[in-house]
Amino acid sequence: MKLINKAFLSLALTGSLLVSSCDSLLQVDPRQSIDADGALTTPDAMNAALNSVYSKLRSARLYGRDLFAVSDALADVGQTTSNSGRLIGENNNQPGAHFGTWQTAYFAINEANLILDGLSKVEGASAAQLARWEGEAKFLRGLYYFDLVKVYSYIPTAIYEPGVIGQGGVPVVTEGVISSGVALSRQPARATINEVYAQIYRDLEDAKRLLGAGRGVQYGSGPAASALLSRVALYRGDYPKVVTESGLALASSVGTVLSGAAYVNGWRAPVNPESMFEVRFALAEESIGVNESLQSTYTALLNLTNKNSQGGWGDFIPNASVRALFGLSALQIGTPATDNNNWDVNRNADVRAQLFTTGNTVRGAGRQIENTKFMSKSGFAYADNVPVIRKSEMHLNRAEANYHLNNQSAALTELNAFKALRGLPAVTLSGNALLEEILLERLKEFIGEGQRFFDLKRYGRAIVKTTPAVNLAFDDFKILPPIPQREVDGNPNIKQNRGY
Amino acid sequence: MRKILLLGLMLFLVNAVAFAQGRVVTGTVTSVEDGMGVPGATVLVKGTTIGTATDIDGKYSINVPAGSNVLVFTFVGLTSQEVNIGNRSTINVALESDITALSEVIVTGYGTQPKREVTGAVSSVKGDAIQNLPLQSFDRALQGRASGVQVRSSNGLPGGAVNIRIRGVGSINAGNEPLFIVDGVQLNNQSNASFTQSNPLAFLNPNDIESMEILKDAASAAIYGSQAANGVVIITTKKGKQGKAKFEFNAFSGETQPMKFLDVLGGSEWYAMRRDALVNTANTAPEANALNAMGRLPSNWATLTRPQLDALGLALPTYDWQREVMGAGRLNNYEMSVSGGDEKTTFFLSGSYNYQEASFRPVDFERGTVRIALTHQATKRLSIETNMNLSTFQQNVPFAVEGSFLGNPAFSASAVLPHNAIYNEDGTFNTAIAGVLGQNVVLVNSYNSGIQRTNTAVGNLITNYKIANNLTFRSLFGLDYRLLQGDNYRDPRTPDGAGVIGRSSVQSDWRTRFITTQTLNWNKTFNGVHNVSAIAGVEYLSETREGISGAGIGFPTFQFRTIQSAATPESVSGFWTGYRRASVFSSANYDYKKKYLVTVTARYDGSSRFGTENRYGLFPSIRLGWSMVEEEFLKNSSTISEMKFRASYGLTGNDQIGNFDARGLYGGGGNYSGSAGIVPSSLANLGLSWETNNTLNLGLDYGFFENRITGSIDAFDRRTKDLLLSQPILWTNGFGGISNNVGELQNRGLEFELSTVNVDKGGFRWNSSFNITKLDNQIVSLYSGLQFLPANPGIAVGQPVGRSGEGAIFAAEYAGVNPATGRPMWLDINGNITYLPLAADRKYYGSSLGTVFGGLNNTFTYKGFEFTTFFTYEYGGIGSDGQYGFLRENGTRLALNALREVNDRSWKTPGQITDIPRNVTTNGGNETRGAGRNSGTAALLKYDFIRLSQLTLAYSFKPSLVNRIGLTRARIYAQGVNLWTYTDYPGYDPEFTGAGTGQVPLTKSYTLGVQIGF
Repeated sequence: MKLINKAFLSLALTGSLLVSSCDSLLQVDPRQSIDADGALTTPDAMNAALNSVYSKLRSARLYGRDLFAVSDALADVGQTTSNSGRLIGENNNQPGAHFGTWQTAYFAINEANLILDGLSKVEGASAAQLARWEGEAKFLRGLYYFDLVKVYSYIPTAIYEPGVIGQGGVPVVTEGVISSGVALSRQPARATINEVYAQIYRDLEDAKRLLGAGRGVQYGSGPAASALLSRVALYRGDYPKVVTESGLALASSVGTVLSGAAYVNGWRAPVNPESMFEVRFALAEESIGVNESLQSTYTALLNLTNKNSQGGWGDFIPNASVRALFGLSALQIGTPATDNNNWDVNRNADVRAQLFTTGNTVRGAGRQIENTKFMSKSGFAYADNVPVIRKSEMHLNRAEANYHLNNQSAALTELNAFKALRGLPAVTLSGNALLEEILLERLKEFIGEGQRFFDLKRYGRAIVKTTPAVNLAFDDFKILPPIPQREVDGNPNIKQNRGY
Repeated sequence: MRKILLLGLMLFLVNAVAFAQGRVVTGTVTSVEDGMGVPGATVLVKGTTIGTATDIDGKYSINVPAGSNVLVFTFVGLTSQEVNIGNRSTINVALESDITALSEVIVTGYGTQPKREVTGAVSSVKGDAIQNLPLQSFDRALQGRASGVQVRSSNGLPGGAVNIRIRGVGSINAGNEPLFIVDGVQLNNQSNASFTQSNPLAFLNPNDIESMEILKDAASAAIYGSQAANGVVIITTKKGKQGKAKFEFNAFSGETQPMKFLDVLGGSEWYAMRRDALVNTANTAPEANALNAMGRLPSNWATLTRPQLDALGLALPTYDWQREVMGAGRLNNYEMSVSGGDEKTTFFLSGSYNYQEASFRPVDFERGTVRIALTHQATKRLSIETNMNLSTFQQNVPFAVEGSFLGNPAFSASAVLPHNAIYNEDGTFNTAIAGVLGQNVVLVNSYNSGIQRTNTAVGNLITNYKIANNLTFRSLFGLDYRLLQGDNYRDPRTPDGAGVIGRSSVQSDWRTRFITTQTLNWNKTFNGVHNVSAIAGVEYLSETREGISGAGIGFPTFQFRTIQSAATPESVSGFWTGYRRASVFSSANYDYKKKYLVTVTARYDGSSRFGTENRYGLFPSIRLGWSMVEEEFLKNSSTISEMKFRASYGLTGNDQIGNFDARGLYGGGGNYSGSAGIVPSSLANLGLSWETNNTLNLGLDYGFFENRITGSIDAFDRRTKDLLLSQPILWTNGFGGISNNVGELQNRGLEFELSTVNVDKGGFRWNSSFNITKLDNQIVSLYSGLQFLPANPGIAVGQPVGRSGEGAIFAAEYAGVNPATGRPMWLDINGNITYLPLAADRKYYGSSLGTVFGGLNNTFTYKGFEFTTFFTYEYGGIGSDGQYGFLRENGTRLALNALREVNDRSWKTPGQITDIPRNVTTNGGNETRGAGRNSGTAALLKYDFIRLSQLTLAYSFKPSLVNRIGLTRARIYAQGVNLWTYTDYPGYDPEFTGAGTGQVPLTKSYTLGVQIGF
């Protein structure tokens, strides 16, 4: 019996030990994460949280690729090579082959909202820090909302309405979600397009007020907010504001408008001096890689020093009309012809023609004329800092706004000054021809930078291209992408875009 | 099994040695099979409790009381014999092997039970059945062996992943893997190898396995509580047995062969295909463009006529890339074991070496194992036991486990344009590869390198203390330790390494799982008819996992291949995670005369993985049995030898989610401009708890004609409630989903097992065993009345889920090719033809989960010869095959090769009825304004097959013959695995998991082996 007692005792002891101390026994805390409650209560945490909001701009769905390359593929400036099969559907304007910025943008907006919600709870923060966090978070939120609404909705200057009821803008959420209760129950409806633009204005005005010259072009700044406001106002048809904000941006110390060879060299520098705000790719691990980076999308070259080195896919190249604008045609400059280094292109006087050259024969489509704006300038393969707003745009925005404000002479003067920067002779135009020339200048300036599609969209124009043969009327539903079906299925308040 | 029982039986019998006076009978018990003495056999005086056990040489001595005249000799696994003593004082008996496994003992939760008393749904696979199969992990060997157990290899990587599903798929987002227990140690069988698949279960030499028991119904598994929802597989390894040391040497060797090469087009055929596609697209220079697509357009092409260009194209050569990178692989296995012991101590020592090459070089698997099993009877009451399994295996890694990577030989070999030469005339690699696959994969394969190493230690220390004759305390401490290391080098001479001038990636990942189980075992018989036994215990488990990994780029030359030579660190990472579980459990058995059987169990689990509000769970079960054969009216039946009805109901849990899924967290991530970021990574769910799995099981065990025909029938209804579903959250709310307990999934099925002795005459014996399972899986409900999951409409009420919990096939129906134009057509939701099906046109078409599966084994033995055939089969799964999908495009989208049989079927002339559209070159190979040719159900395949999994011919030499050269046993055997497959599958093989793109397919193998005992 003694033994039985002992055994039972030991068992009971072990058992009671386990049971009584169970709660503490079962407490295991993660070591590489912190509890969301109270995560954003220190200045360091706020800085780190803000970094994450910036970093989402690097996504291939945003400035990593799509906002530039998908945009151009949808527009009328290029054609695909089928080298990797990418962007073919977009270039054909097939249903569903479109932007998909929704998820990343809203995740970033939530993070920005959490930062803004947490401002009052940070311990030991200076007033300057608080202003910077609020300003940068609002700058980013404004940018994300602008990139959402310009994609998923019509642009205020050209809204297609027949048969469309209450489709509207995108949902505007300005409170952060960190608890499951709200996450499962909040079902925001689409705000009107005007409400979204008003929200963007508010955020960017706050950013302008709170931020000074900023801490580098990879971060939001007052002038960058002005520059962005200039574009937002242009989309909104708020032309006086375009003039004001462009002026503020141009007068600022952020960014430089370059001309001639300096402009071309600007594209060869890690940080383009023209940038007023750019998305930074700082580390090798941030590279989008060989499949989806901008460099890989636009050129099969690995670098410009040896054209024979196998680089990316070169999936999307300028089409004939763009080649004609710059006088581009292939030119053999040495022998043998099989050596890709023995090839370049003929160019016209436009300095931007310097940004094109022949690629290589490594990929299936063979040697093509390619855009070389993105050539691993960050110092490692397939990574370039992406200029979101270049200072030159301010001239084009202001010229266009002045045209609409019936200041045609100011518009023409600014256009000709800009043309001179690009090595082009002055023109004498007026009326619609002047507007067309301004838009053509935009097209040439922003090849590969994703502006053309939205220029067509804000003027309600059809997308017409010969290769591939597409004539996409403005009333076609494929001008807008589908809102992700899961968001429509899971939210009765969201109305899907027409046609999907 | 007999070795395990041995100890226990002896202990009981030691106490039962007779006090009565009478005569002494002595003798030796031998086994007919090998003529050796059987130690530990029971010798009983019939009608009494007087008995003894044989000694190490099989000798015994027993006092037979006056009036008794019959001795009963029994030993587990051998047929019992009753012998009349008459006036003899020496009785030698030779026991035959028990072919019908009448007295089989089954390992169940925390104990063992005679098979006759098992009231749950438990399948047992003996180690003998899978002996010497050239398979690296035992889970693969379970395929087709037991009803309700569905096994699929993920691919043909030796030591690769195996997908095992017991009674269907019970979870959508939590794991579907059963719990594996080796020698009482619950394993972590999650694989985290970075560079290949390293199946954690490959640590064990399958030949070291004595038996595997599969607890299928929730009632049997419920004693394992929150981890048992997907069933439990209990592996018992071989133990020593009393007797002089027995040495066993076993070796087999052979080769693996690809089961199939895809029949792809040759160079000129591909040219013709592309030329005709261009003609279809109204191209004005089809010959020149076709040659251009193949990189073979001569520079003077403008001066050549179309027929001249055509002649060039039709003269293009063909190179067989598949046979260059796929081929025979070596296969070797050597092992040695020593076992034996005396009355107090037994031991089993074994060591093994296994090597196998995949069909794709340099992928291979190399393993060494050491095993020690010791038992020692310290005192009459105290025994100690230990089992240690040590193993290391190393794999040369493939370019990628799967995927359409240009450098992946398993993808490219069949897809590269066939006119590309592999080598230049001077024997160097051809690097000018035309087509989208612009890499020479043979070069890539021979320049890159990488290994993945897995070191495992699984062991236990067990103390048994016999508190009283019917009360035992058992204490187990166990350890499962695994270290994964890997490195992978992208050579700068390969295209993927050139851009970064070489990349070295390394990984270290180690986990420690500690488990202790303390149990009390009690049993008592009241009035000789009421048998009661009970187990009570506590258990604690803790697991931590840590890892570091990194990559560096920029190497001076290709000879520098280790990470310290990198100029630039590309990434550095690490992680830590862990969880703990504490449990109490109990089970009680009662039977009345072995006729009416009842078992109830309960387990109370607490786990750190779940929300603080729902951290503990109770898992009860009940099992009932009626052994009809024990009833008077059947006792003397000559027809019915076994008839037992079983019913069980139980609750089990599934805790296979992330360790911190219940927590709301900010994690590291989102670095920007060189400084660190943090990102909200998950939402808190304080109420998060386990999925509960409720299974009702009805079963029948039957046996006829002295159990020459035996088997079982089971019907089950397994319902998983409170699914651990990743409930979608609107992206506008900043998160993609949250783990939540919502929804219900049902698996219903019928299982049938049959074993027969067809012929047993004149030394010739023919045994068969057959099993079949019919499975029906569907989602019963989701949440908030939703009929489908917003983020994933394949997850829908009334529809099955796939084998990995993925949704049902949800696609627009393919309507073949318009005979007039060659355009592919689909049906819209109203059944009308459309060229551009929309999301709204999708319908449900079943899932990747096979619904009927099983195996058929036939063994013929005659005078030492043994011939075994084993078939496995699966039916009812449907899905896509990425590799086939690429090849089915006929090179229209990308310059890839095509399957001859598919291209032959492509539409060519008006009026032609076919399922493959005409080839065009516009719009990525599709008709303008038309959907992709593989859209909807167009490229779906049935995964059905019947496979001759095993064919064995063996010969065992007569013991008397080999005794002369000092051996006790000698056996030679020849074996073939996967020799034949019946299927109309157009891809490599229907057995795989994943996307099927660029995966190493399963192989067949031939081996020759020899087993020697001395």
